[in-house]
Amino acid sequence: MKRDTATKIITANDLLSGEVVYLSTSGKWSIRHSDAILFEDKKAANTRLTEVQAQDTSIIGPCLAGATLADNQTPMPVHFREVFRSKGPSNRFLGKQTYAA
Amino acid sequence: MPLENPILSISERVTELNSRYRNQKTEDVLRDILKDPLFGPVALVSSFGAEAVVLLHMISVIDPATPVIFIDTEMLFPQTLAYQKDLAEKFGLTDVRRITPSREAVFQRDTDNLLHLADRDSCCALRKTEPLERALIGFDAWIGGRKRFQGGVRVAIEMFENEADTRIKINPLAHWSREDVADYITVNTLPRHPLVAKGYLSIGCAPCTTPVSAGEDYRAGRWRGEEKTECGIHLASHVPNSGEPEVNTAVIVNDEGFAPDDWDRGYSVFEDMDDLSETQKSALAIDLPNTFDATDLLPWIDQIDLIRVEFPVFSDGRGFSLAQRLRLLGYHGRLRAKGHVLADQYAMVRRSGFDEVEISHELANRQPQSQWSARAAWQTHNYQQKFYQST
Amino acid sequence: MYNYTTFDKDFVATRAAQFRDQVQRRINGSLTEDEFRPLRLMNGLYMLLHAYMLRVAIPYGTLNGTQMRALADVADRWDKGYAHFSTRQNIQFHWPKLQDVPDILESLAKVDMHAIQTSGSCIRSVTSDHFAGAAADEYEDPRPTAEFVRQWSTDHPEFAFLPRKFKIAVTGSARDRAVIKLHDIGLTLVRNAAGAPGYEVSVGGGLGRTPMIGKVIRDFLPRADLLPYLEAILQVYNQIGRRDNKYKARIKITVHEHGIEEIRNRVEESFSLQRMRFDGVDQDIFARIEADFAEPIYKQASIEGYEIARQSDPLFRSFTDTNLHPHKNADYTIVTVSLKAHGATPGDASSAQMRVLADIAERWSHDELRVSHEQNIILPHVHKGDLPAVHAALRSAGLATANIGLISDLIACPGMDYCDLATARSINIAQGIATRFDELKLEHDIGHLKLKISGCINACGHHHVGHIGILGLEKSGVESYQITLGGDGTETASIGKIIGPGFSTDEIIPAIERLIMAYLDLRLDASETFLTVFRRLGPQPFKTALYTNEVKNHAA
Repeated sequence: MKRDTATKIITANDLLSGEVVYLSTSGKWSIRHSDAILFEDKKAANTRLTEVQAQDTSIIGPCLAGATLADNQTPMPVHFREVFRSKGPSNRFLGKQTYAA
Repeated sequence: MPLENPILSISERVTELNSRYRNQKTEDVLRDILKDPLFGPVALVSSFGAEAVVLLHMISVIDPATPVIFIDTEMLFPQTLAYQKDLAEKFGLTDVRRITPSREAVFQRDTDNLLHLADRDSCCALRKTEPLERALIGFDAWIGGRKRFQGGVRVAIEMFENEADTRIKINPLAHWSREDVADYITVNTLPRHPLVAKGYLSIGCAPCTTPVSAGEDYRAGRWRGEEKTECGIHLASHVPNSGEPEVNTAVIVNDEGFAPDDWDRGYSVFEDMDDLSETQKSALAIDLPNTFDATDLLPWIDQIDLIRVEFPVFSDGRGFSLAQRLRLLGYHGRLRAKGHVLADQYAMVRRSGFDEVEISHELANRQPQSQWSARAAWQTHNYQQKFYQST
Repeated sequence: MYNYTTFDKDFVATRAAQFRDQVQRRINGSLTEDEFRPLRLMNGLYMLLHAYMLRVAIPYGTLNGTQMRALADVADRWDKGYAHFSTRQNIQFHWPKLQDVPDILESLAKVDMHAIQTSGSCIRSVTSDHFAGAAADEYEDPRPTAEFVRQWSTDHPEFAFLPRKFKIAVTGSARDRAVIKLHDIGLTLVRNAAGAPGYEVSVGGGLGRTPMIGKVIRDFLPRADLLPYLEAILQVYNQIGRRDNKYKARIKITVHEHGIEEIRNRVEESFSLQRMRFDGVDQDIFARIEADFAEPIYKQASIEGYEIARQSDPLFRSFTDTNLHPHKNADYTIVTVSLKAHGATPGDASSAQMRVLADIAERWSHDELRVSHEQNIILPHVHKGDLPAVHAALRSAGLATANIGLISDLIACPGMDYCDLATARSINIAQGIATRFDELKLEHDIGHLKLKISGCINACGHHHVGHIGILGLEKSGVESYQITLGGDGTETASIGKIIGPGFSTDEIIPAIERLIMAYLDLRLDASETFLTVFRRLGPQPFKTALYTNEVKNHAA
């Protein structure tokens, strides 16, 4: 498994619910990884991240995470930590994995 | 590009323009400016703030290809960014230039995006004045949205101004009243900035803008509580850190609430203690870093009237121990915590031996008196006090 | 148990109200996230991987039935119907929402509970021996001291913004069950030659990235000097503890860098000043606290039923073989309820199980429960005659696993299934090991063994002091597990040694199996524990077992 990729998504936790959220193509925060906007280069991703950090008070801890395009053309996480964040814990069926696809 | 026919100096032209357009309709003035070859390239500089929609609408009617410079300080409200996109699309503006601060400069001068807390003028310079300066290279004149009714230094502005003999600054709405603005927006059914409905009458960067209450000055919500009223892009001679005397912006917090600083005799540092004049000794105040060893002060401990302990950041708790030690070593004078102290720490500050807190106006804005007063009863719910004294 | 006074009740209620206000101010922008974070942490609220996590204090692991039931109610009403008992004798809820936390804290304040100082760079919730006040091997009850320290450290104005977190543990038994030597300050109750009560004080112990055994700074501190002496240690640490590097900010590094002699001199100087603040009224408070910890009124009854059940019920017999500890009253026993059913998540309990425990405690354990740092629940005062009924009640709730002290009674932090700091999972490894040794039916033969798993270098799973420690790391983008051997968290404390390269998720459980098989081959007889064999033979035979491909067959 690759540790990192050139393509990035922006992720954070929602201030109120604490849930993992992703910056989506619409500019809003989505709870689904598949909605994430994929930045082709790190510089553009960083620029957007700086804007989000400075301006968006609805989320906490925004950061970049590596992601690639899946076969169905939606972004999927690369590192196993992000896989857990996108699904929920592996010892209990809780969190995002319980949502209907 | 310079003026095509620089016959007159900028100052002479400004005088001439002001007299020529004094009684003209704003739309006509704008049409002339945008079409007059004498001006060369002209840009509209827009904040996409509370009233920016008026000029944006006017130029879109005259020429939607007019360059519109939008300074994104990267500290703006998300609503402003959304509003900017909406308006550009709705009005069909084809040359909106979003200008951001220099990456390198931000990296060097504001890595953690907290410069606005430490030095607002420098923050405005970094994020607004300098980027605008770069963006205006090649323009002979620029249009802005300032109005006299906004108060402050703006009550005296003219429609045309000489900007440091380099450019002409045009204020087409200088003589508009608040009602004129409102009427124009209503008549043309223009979309308002989403924050207007929440009481923001003037909208800048998110950290330094607050809503304005009824009866307050129009721009009271900008840099609230500070003497600062302009960001710097409208001060042609503005040079950051130009050596002007430091403005005293401290707020003192004590059990009664906020108060102005009543100490005007200055502060010494420990290194000066051996060489103090008699005048200094008569009213002696000393600034201590929180790393100071309290026992070093023992020889002078009865002679000091005020000790001010620095809190560089609220999460650095060394100042609490320093205060505690100063008190146990026998210091009975005034003890003040200065710097980044939170309202939530007020009881801790008082219990560890301080008498008062000195905070910046910015912090006082964000954490107003009510939040400090909520902790003013610092003697209650105090476990330690139960253990210390039998009374 | 300690009975909350009006003062205590007002304090926690006010604190909950203050936090409600802070949450409101965070949401309206008065507090930035940078400013709010330390405030929420001081109230036990973390941001973890999937959600917020609220850590509620169970000071020195002691609670009653009403409190346990209130925790179950929190799990049902604001969380997902379960909770996790931590390795610091606290309880964690892994799914609360920010705006619900003030309501949770308010509901807990009504039963004298709170989340104060369960996180943050302050003096953390004090821990102690989970058998305190009950164990036959205890010479003095540490709970009055623990409660005394809890009150003194609560909202201490001078020590709320230390360089890093600060943990104090207390014990009064020769058998150290509180990992005393691995705490920032460890207090052991002792008497001097004249018989006066006092403490041996150790300082600078800790796990984490740089594990260190605490050093004795005072071999006898009179009880009346305790608070000023603690203040002196904290004051020295607050002033000279490093703030430039998070990984060098704990007092263990301060002691290591300055040397125990210099620290002792500074502490004594500071103590001479701090001592002046105390005029003895604190000792009156201590005496009042002590009175609250009087022994329960033991019941006089036959223990015949206990012996009969042992003869007739093999499950009961097995349970009583492993899960009991001698009580100071011979008719009584201490029951450890395992939260380590084979294949379950160590330390997790459902709200239904928590209510059963509350009921059992009220009916059969003088309304007392304890949480152990080994993530089990203790019923400290059970009359032996009631044991069959207690066992039946536990069985009905899936709480009668008879594995205390065995390999499947292992410690595991939440790891990457929940924690944002984790570098690998630990729960899945715990589940795998417990399940495997259950299949092998070997764990009773293996006997006393402490296996501890951490999902990152911060060592919440205490892997450094496990006879076998497992540390989850990330290696080239996958989870990898490093084994340490020979650790010990008791009075014979030692730090485990890294034994060699790590193992993948698939390899680690077979590796542990090879290690155990080697132990069974190497031990002189069944009474020689894994740790004793390791101390006798050193790492080499275990290294050989781990890193040679051939798996020896156990000849038992």
